Amino acid sequence: MDAKSRILSRIRHALKGMPKALLPEHPHPALAQDPAELFLKRLAENGAEGHLVDKEGARKLLADLAQGLPGAAYGKGVPDAFRLLPELPPEEAPLGVSRALFAVAETGTVALSSEDGRRVQLLPPVHLVLVEEEKVYPSLLEAFLDLKSFPSAIGLHSGPSKSADIGQVMVKGVHGPGRLVVAVLQGSW
Amino acid sequence: MQVKAKLYPKEAARLLREHPGVREAVTGATLHFEANRKRAYQEIDAEIWRERARRVKDHLLTHLDHYLELAEKRLQEKGVRVYWAEGPEEAHRILREIVARHGVKRAVKAKSMLTEELGVNPLLESLGVEVYETDLGEYLIQLLGEPPSHIVGPAIHLALSDIQRLFHGRFGTPLDASPEALAAVARKVLREAFLTADLGISGANFLVAETGTLALMENEGNIRLSTSLPRVHVAFVGIEKLLPRFADLALFLPLTARAATGQRLSTYVSLIQGPAKEGEEGPKEVHVVLVDHGRTTLLHDPEAWEVLRCLRCGACLNACPVYRQTGGHPYGYVYSGPIGAVLDPGLLGLEDTYPLPYASTLCGACYEACPVKIPIPKLLLTWRKRAVERGLAPTWERGAIQAFSKVMQSPSLYRFFSKALRGLPLPQDLLPLLKAWTEGRGPLRPSPKPFHQLWQELKE
Repeated sequence: MDAKSRILSRIRHALKGMPKALLPEHPHPALAQDPAELFLKRLAENGAEGHLVDKEGARKLLADLAQGLPGAAYGKGVPDAFRLLPELPPEEAPLGVSRALFAVAETGTVALSSEDGRRVQLLPPVHLVLVEEEKVYPSLLEAFLDLKSFPSAIGLHSGPSKSADIGQVMVKGVHGPGRLVVAVLQGSW
Repeated sequence: MQVKAKLYPKEAARLLREHPGVREAVTGATLHFEANRKRAYQEIDAEIWRERARRVKDHLLTHLDHYLELAEKRLQEKGVRVYWAEGPEEAHRILREIVARHGVKRAVKAKSMLTEELGVNPLLESLGVEVYETDLGEYLIQLLGEPPSHIVGPAIHLALSDIQRLFHGRFGTPLDASPEALAAVARKVLREAFLTADLGISGANFLVAETGTLALMENEGNIRLSTSLPRVHVAFVGIEKLLPRFADLALFLPLTARAATGQRLSTYVSLIQGPAKEGEEGPKEVHVVLVDHGRTTLLHDPEAWEVLRCLRCGACLNACPVYRQTGGHPYGYVYSGPIGAVLDPGLLGLEDTYPLPYASTLCGACYEACPVKIPIPKLLLTWRKRAVERGLAPTWERGAIQAFSKVMQSPSLYRFFSKALRGLPLPQDLLPLLKAWTEGRGPLRPSPKPFHQLWQELKE
């Protein structure tokens, strides 16, 4: 017998005669007021920056972040209108710009797809994420129940990289970006 | 990992004597974590969340065979290679083959308790692979050659000054370097490792059976990097880590984060569905090793199986007044604190771990903190009872407890012995049971007045 059959047969033996526990239903999501507003509040509490902007406002935000930088790395889904700086590889870029799959208000989270590019989400010290306002879900549960296509990896980012492993002192930007900025876009791109 | 749990009382006493700074560091850190957890529980209806999580895990465990086969099928459909391992031997063989096939020279590792159980680092080193632990705390203890002291904060026992000295010797940083400066040095070394490693190794917080999704939680970004940059990713997953449905993550991810660190969600969550698709960045191969290593033995145990619900959040360690004194090292195995005291005997057998269930005051704080309501105090008593039944507890203990119980039930006997003991010179060095206490400490000095008298005087 291989390891799989041995392990499974021991499990079946152990479970014989054991009462089976029922799987509880998912709870009903609470009715949220304004997810975008809560999202911005939670982002700030997580140590990230969030802005509710239209297309022009987003370009201005990007221009402010880009000031004095030689270039940026871009996720595949970032529209040309937001590629203000020359493109650099993520290993060298001082700024990464990604487009999120969706966002979650209750936790202040952006969900990033591997299809958009993983390195741009992780290597530059500053990360700007674009997300449409209608893609901000009130809760994780609603977002997960709604998720239909699964890319090879989804990263949920809820703030800047941090660690308190050195003497219990909070340090930002340990491995991932030390600064996370999210632009919630109103209206069309 | 070598098991030294039998030495617990001795090692705990030695640590307190020789490294008094550890108590201060661990107490400070755990009280901080514990306060954050309490605040995070107060924000939600914690009782409803914990009860729901308990029920989902119980369902999973009582249908474990079904969900394991489903998870394997879903993973394989996405191009993930799935292996099964009874324990270290088989896990090593699987990893050795992957290392050989890919000519792996350098590996980056995301913190994983299971890989500590399996001794993955020593194996890789013996194969000539350069291994980098990439969680900052785990990197520190790797440099020191120590095992983790806490499930979530492996370097919780180190003070800033310890790390300043370590980095001064290793990288020539000044002895008064700030935490930011020290972290920047580690970031530089590890960034280079991420960019050049051939292999990324991780554990998993959860494996969703319905979709074949691995879920990993962290705050630094090292897990995202370890599972994104190298061309091969190997994840070791304990068979009890499964969840039935993808949407169950909406409960378990935030609940684990609240219990572990008091966050609404950890800064990063990686949800991994398989190897990178054509033209996409990411590992070309993903391997998942499903590991038993004592878990099915626990499932067979009708009195102790509930410990398999454990999410490895470390909340019970932070709540424990006994763990707080020493940190994890004296417990002598990967899992320490209250959860270690009930998990280690189940995974390794009571013969090698019998002092651990006694490392508790039975105050119940661990149960209040546990996000999946593991009845740790009850399980501690179960293991203690077994230790007595199997003759593992010292023989004098039974007599002493019986005598103590007699004396405590009779006011006259209590008064007599309280007086008599205070009058006698204590034969401290003759009594073997006092030796663990008296070694390295001053003599025991009885109070000149009995407690009852002090109490009366206080009232007056």
